[in-house]
Amino acid sequence: MATAANAVETAFPEAVSAIRSDGKEKVTGTGRYTADLTLTGQLHAAFRYTDHPSARLLKVDVSKAKAVPGVIAVVTNADVPDVKYGGMVQDRYLFAKDTVRFEGDIIAGVAATTEAIARHAASLIEVDYEVLPSISDFVKAMDPSSPLVHADWEDYSRNEDLGSNGNTLGYSTIVKGDADAAMAGADVVVKGRYFTDPVQGVPIEPRAILAQWNGDKVTVWTSSQVPFAARAGVALTMGVTESQVRIIVPLLGGGFGAKCDFHFEGHVAALARKANRPVKLVFTRREEFFAVGHRREGMLIELETGARADGTLVARRGRLVLDSGAYCGEGGFFAQMAAMHACGPYKIENINIESYLNYSNNQPSSSIRAPTAPQVCWALEQHMDHLARELGMDPVDLRRHTLVEEGAEGPTRQVFDRIGMKETLELAAERIGYGQVLPDDEAIGFASGWWPCFAVPSGAYVKFNPDGTATIITGAQENGSGSVMAMPQFVAEELGMRAEDISIVYQDTDVAPWDMGSSGSQTTFNSVRAVLDAAVDVRNQLIAAAADLLEAAPEDLEMAEGTIRVKGTPTKNVAIAEITAGGTFHGRGSGPLPESPPVQAEGCVGRLGNESFLAPQFFTHAVRVKLDRDTGVARVLQVAAAHESGRVLNPIGANGQVYGGVVMGIGQALSEGTQLDADGRQRNPGLLDYKLVTCSDAPRIDIDWVEINTPNAGPRGSKGIGEPPSVPTAGAIANALTQLIGSPVTTLPMTPERVWAVANGVAQ
Amino acid sequence: MKIETTLTVNGFNYLVDIDPHATLSRTVRDAIGLTGTKEGCDDSECGACMMLIDGKPVNSCSYLALQAEGTAITTVEGLAIGDELSPLQKSFLSCGGVQCGFCTPGMLISATALLADNPHPTEADVRIGLSGNLCRCTGYDGIVKAVLEAAQVSS
Repeated sequence: MATAANAVETAFPEAVSAIRSDGKEKVTGTGRYTADLTLTGQLHAAFRYTDHPSARLLKVDVSKAKAVPGVIAVVTNADVPDVKYGGMVQDRYLFAKDTVRFEGDIIAGVAATTEAIARHAASLIEVDYEVLPSISDFVKAMDPSSPLVHADWEDYSRNEDLGSNGNTLGYSTIVKGDADAAMAGADVVVKGRYFTDPVQGVPIEPRAILAQWNGDKVTVWTSSQVPFAARAGVALTMGVTESQVRIIVPLLGGGFGAKCDFHFEGHVAALARKANRPVKLVFTRREEFFAVGHRREGMLIELETGARADGTLVARRGRLVLDSGAYCGEGGFFAQMAAMHACGPYKIENINIESYLNYSNNQPSSSIRAPTAPQVCWALEQHMDHLARELGMDPVDLRRHTLVEEGAEGPTRQVFDRIGMKETLELAAERIGYGQVLPDDEAIGFASGWWPCFAVPSGAYVKFNPDGTATIITGAQENGSGSVMAMPQFVAEELGMRAEDISIVYQDTDVAPWDMGSSGSQTTFNSVRAVLDAAVDVRNQLIAAAADLLEAAPEDLEMAEGTIRVKGTPTKNVAIAEITAGGTFHGRGSGPLPESPPVQAEGCVGRLGNESFLAPQFFTHAVRVKLDRDTGVARVLQVAAAHESGRVLNPIGANGQVYGGVVMGIGQALSEGTQLDADGRQRNPGLLDYKLVTCSDAPRIDIDWVEINTPNAGPRGSKGIGEPPSVPTAGAIANALTQLIGSPVTTLPMTPERVWAVANGVAQ
Repeated sequence: MKIETTLTVNGFNYLVDIDPHATLSRTVRDAIGLTGTKEGCDDSECGACMMLIDGKPVNSCSYLALQAEGTAITTVEGLAIGDELSPLQKSFLSCGGVQCGFCTPGMLISATALLADNPHPTEADVRIGLSGNLCRCTGYDGIVKAVLEAAQVSS
C-alpha cells in the first residue's frame, strides 16, 4: 500500500487526490486523440525512408510515385525552405538533402487519398546512393581516424559551450580537487566498466499529426509533449512566423520524453501546403521504434573510486561515452547531465569525470524520462556495492556514511539545504524488510539517486465567467501523467471555491502563453507557479471590487466558500457570482523563477546549466529479486520506493508516477533493449521482440514519501516527480542479482542470457 | 471489390461496404465512426484494440470485419450502462487506473470479459487475465486495484 503521508514533518496540510477531469472521456471512449480526428478532404501521408543508414544521395526520382492515381503531393528537400533545425546544434534537415545518417532519415513524403496508396507510392520513389561506412560503434566514433558523421560540423550553428570536436558533439568535465593524488592515497580502490543498450520510450499511442493550411496560416493537431517547441519548428522549417502556426494537442497517449522536441509536424505541414488539402500522418509501431529521434542512449561508463577504510569517498574518476546517434536533437546537455549522475548524491572529496557525447549512424538520442540518469545510476550503484564488498561493509551502511545531507557539498560544491536523501534510504530499508532471512534464490538490492528541478518561465490566465465559475488557461501540456489535472484544485484553494467550478484550457498555442511543455518533470514546478500567480492577480481584482460593495478595506476581506467576506464576520459577504456577473475579471501570472544554487565549478568544462541541481529530488529503491539459476530468469517480487520530492500536492498523481516509473525501470533492467546490427539498423523494432513488462510480470510496489520543506522549491514546497521513479530500479535489481550469482552483470539490460552467462562464467 | 455487410456494434446495426481484408478495428473506427477503440501496434501485441465478440475479447486489429458479421460486437463505447459508468469504469478512475488513457479501452474490455468469466478473481487472476494488454503509464497497479474493487462492488 502506498502511504502518502509517511512524513518526516507533519507541518503540511493533508493533500487531496484529484480525480482526472479528462477521466470520463477516457473511460467511455469519447475522448479524441490525434489519430481519431478527420477533416473533410483529408489525405494520408507516408514517408520514404533511406535504404542505407549512411550514404550520399546521388539521385531522387519521384516521377513513378507522382503517377500513381490518388497521389496528390510528393515532397522532397527541394520543395521546402533550405534550413536546418535542432536545439543546441542545427544539424538536421526535414527531408534529407545530400546525405542520410541513420535508417530513419526521410527522403520524401507522399500525400494520397488513402494510406495504402501513400505507402505504395512512397515505395516507388527511386533513389541512387553512394553508400558510406556506417559508424554504429559510438565509442570508436571518437577515434581521430573515424569518418565524420557530419563532415561539415564546423559550419553548423551551435551552442559553443558544447565543446564540439568532430564526432564528439558534446564534451563535459567535472573537476573537484585532485582526484589523481587522492586516488593514489586511498586505502581501497575499485574500478568498474559498464555498457548499456539503447532503450525506447514506447508510448502506447503511436504518434499522429494532422495539418491544415488556411491561407498563410497552418493549424497542426499533433501528439506532442511540447506544443510550443513544435510551433517554433514548424515556423522555422516552413519559413513562416510563429504567429502563423497554431499547434493543438488533442488527448495525448503517453510520451515519456519520446514525444518531446519538434519532430514530424514540419513534414506533414509541408505535404499539406503542397497538396493544398489537410494531411494526416499516423505512425506504425515499427516507425514508432526506428524513425523517431528519441531513445535512451547507449552508454559506456567507466568508474573508479578510492575510499578510506571507514568508507569515506576520497576520489572518483570516471569516463563516460554516450551515443548521440545521428543528430543532436535536444540531447546536447546529456554529457554534462551524465557526469553529474556519475558523481551521484554522494560526498566525494576529489572528482575528475570526463563525459563525451558522440555522433554515430544510430537512431538519434534525446530525452527519455530522466535522460542519462537510469543508465549511470545503474552503473554507479553497482560500483558502490562493489566498493562496499571490498571494504567489507554492508552496502546500506556505506550509503549511510556517504550520501549527502543538509550542509554537505555536491560535486560542484553546491551546498545542500534541507533535504531528505538519507531518509529515503532508511524508509526503503525498513519497508523492504532489510535484514530478514531470505531463501537461497532471493536477495535484496538497493540503489539511490537524484534528479534536478528545472526552473523555466511559464504563463497562465485565470478568467472568471459571469456565473462565478472560473477557467484556467495554461500553456502547460498534459502527457497522461495528470500533472495539469490538479490545477483546478490548487486554484480553488487559493480562491475559496470548489474545484468542480474551475475548468481548464490547455494544449493550444494560440490560446495560452508560452510554456516549455511536458518535459523535465516541470509542469507542477513551473506551470502551477504561473497558475497560482494568476489566481492571486484575479483575487486581488475581485477583492477590490467587493471592497466597494461591502464598504470594507481590501485587506480586511478574504475569499471563502464561494464568497468574498469580511474576515471574522462571515455574514458580511458577497457571492463571487454577484461580482463577476457585472464585469470582466481575468488574472495573469508567471511568478518569479527560483534560482539555481551557487557553485564553484571553475575547473569544469561543458557548462550548460546543470552545474548545480535546483531543488533536487532524492530517492532510494530497494528490491527483492528471485532468480532461477538454471535459466537466468530474474523476477522482481517486491519494490520499496522511497522518494523525496518536497511536498506531495496530489497523491493519486504522484503515486501513479512512481508505480509507472518503477515498472519502466524493471523493463530497462531486465528486458528492454534495442539491438542494432553492425550498420546501426534496429533488429527488434516491435513489441514482440522489444519486451515491455506486462501486468503479470509487475511486482508489488510500496511507496513512501519523505515530505521535507525545502527552501527555494516549487509551488507550496513541491518539487518534480515524473522522471525520478524510473531512475534507481535497475541499479537496485543489479545489486540483488550480484548477491545471487557472485559477480556483477555489467551490461544492460540484464537479460536471462546475460545473467546466466555471468553466473556460469561464460564469456559474452 | 467491396462487400456489403451488417455489423452489430453496441446493439446498433450498421450497414457497411468493406474490403474483404478490412480489419474490424479499422472498420469500426473509420466506417462506423466509433474511435474509442485504439490501435497501438496493428499486430495483436499491445491489446489497445480489444473488443468483445459475443462476450469474448479479441484483438480487433487482427480480426477481419467480415468474420464479425452476425455477432454482437462490444466496444468501449458500449460499456456504460445508460448514462451511468460501469463499476469498472468508475473504479479505473478512482483507483488511478487511467493516465494517458490510450490502453484504457482495451484494458476495460479485457477486464469486463475477465469479470464476466470470473466474478471473484484473485490478484493473480487479474494480473494473468490482463497480461495481453500493455500499459506504459500506471505500472498496472491502479488497473489491478480497479478490477479487484469493481469485483467487490458488483458482488
